[in-house]
Amino acid sequence: MTALLDSPLFALCLTLAAFQLAQWLYLSSGRVALLHPTIGGAVCIALALVLLDKNYADYYRDIDWLNFLLGPVTVALAVPLYRQLHLLRALAGPLMITVVCGASFACLSALILAWWCGASASTLLSLTTKSITTPIAIIVTDDIGGVTSIAVASVILTGMAGISTISWLFRRLKIEDDRLWGFCLGLAAHAIGTSRAFERSPVAGAFASLALCLTGAFTALVVPLAARWLL
Amino acid sequence: MLAGFLTLFACQLAGEALQRGLNLPLPGQVVGMFLLFAILCVRGAYLDKAVPEGLAQGSQRLIDLLPLLLMAPAAGVFFLGDGFADQWWAFIVAVTLGTWLTLIVSGLLLKYLAGRTP
Repeated sequence: MTALLDSPLFALCLTLAAFQLAQWLYLSSGRVALLHPTIGGAVCIALALVLLDKNYADYYRDIDWLNFLLGPVTVALAVPLYRQLHLLRALAGPLMITVVCGASFACLSALILAWWCGASASTLLSLTTKSITTPIAIIVTDDIGGVTSIAVASVILTGMAGISTISWLFRRLKIEDDRLWGFCLGLAAHAIGTSRAFERSPVAGAFASLALCLTGAFTALVVPLAARWLL
Repeated sequence: MLAGFLTLFACQLAGEALQRGLNLPLPGQVVGMFLLFAILCVRGAYLDKAVPEGLAQGSQRLIDLLPLLLMAPAAGVFFLGDGFADQWWAFIVAVTLGTWLTLIVSGLLLKYLAGRTP
């Protein structure tokens, strides 16, 4: 029986069940941001693991094969991107400037705040990749000598912080244009933000995908160079 | 739709090959995404063809699955371990506050720049 609890089949059922439950909660609550399926589902999984007295590392090993699908999903983002090409062209200049400034700001603001709160050097290094999507973050963090699990956690927490506040925040800032809304969410909150942007509209989703890719590319190129230069 | 999946996997494979061959600093899947984008652009510009139906469907199905794929790594936030206990406070403040500031700064900057573009 315990052997069955340690099987990929169980891990998959748990993950799918958590997703269904989280999806239902999210939709029946009228899309409350804090109940977004990524957040709600993660809480459901964590609760189930604690109740079943199961190790997270074991669960993650059992479900690891699902991460394989992140590859084709990343490639698939090219399709909505291409379909919105005419909209992207009109804003190419502002978008490029925003990526360079926004990605640098995301990295530096986290570093300064964490340093100010007294974080250790290895935590600081692991925070530099917080605004880029998980696969890229893991590669870059390894490269500069950070701790991968903290890097992944910071990426995920960034995503959660982004999607739980964006609607409220951008209403306050009077930014309701789907293009700007999606782009900033993709820039600051990577894949989690992108999946939230697709809920708003295909246009927001395409702009978020573009921001996700550009921020990832920019950070992957600049952070290792900057780290080498500073350390 | 299966043809669409084949296109996606083939682009990823080509991206991984390019990444390894040229030792690029980007992951192969991101290189694959740029490849597929370039292919779609060329097809559209020179052959005047739209995105194939199977590829459009397959891509949309996969993109809809994104929240599901991100859930398992997200649950890891709750299991960072004891060695990290004294860092929690700095970690949460830096990440959440940093993210909000990034949203505000990039939002206002893009709004300003986009407003100047005719």
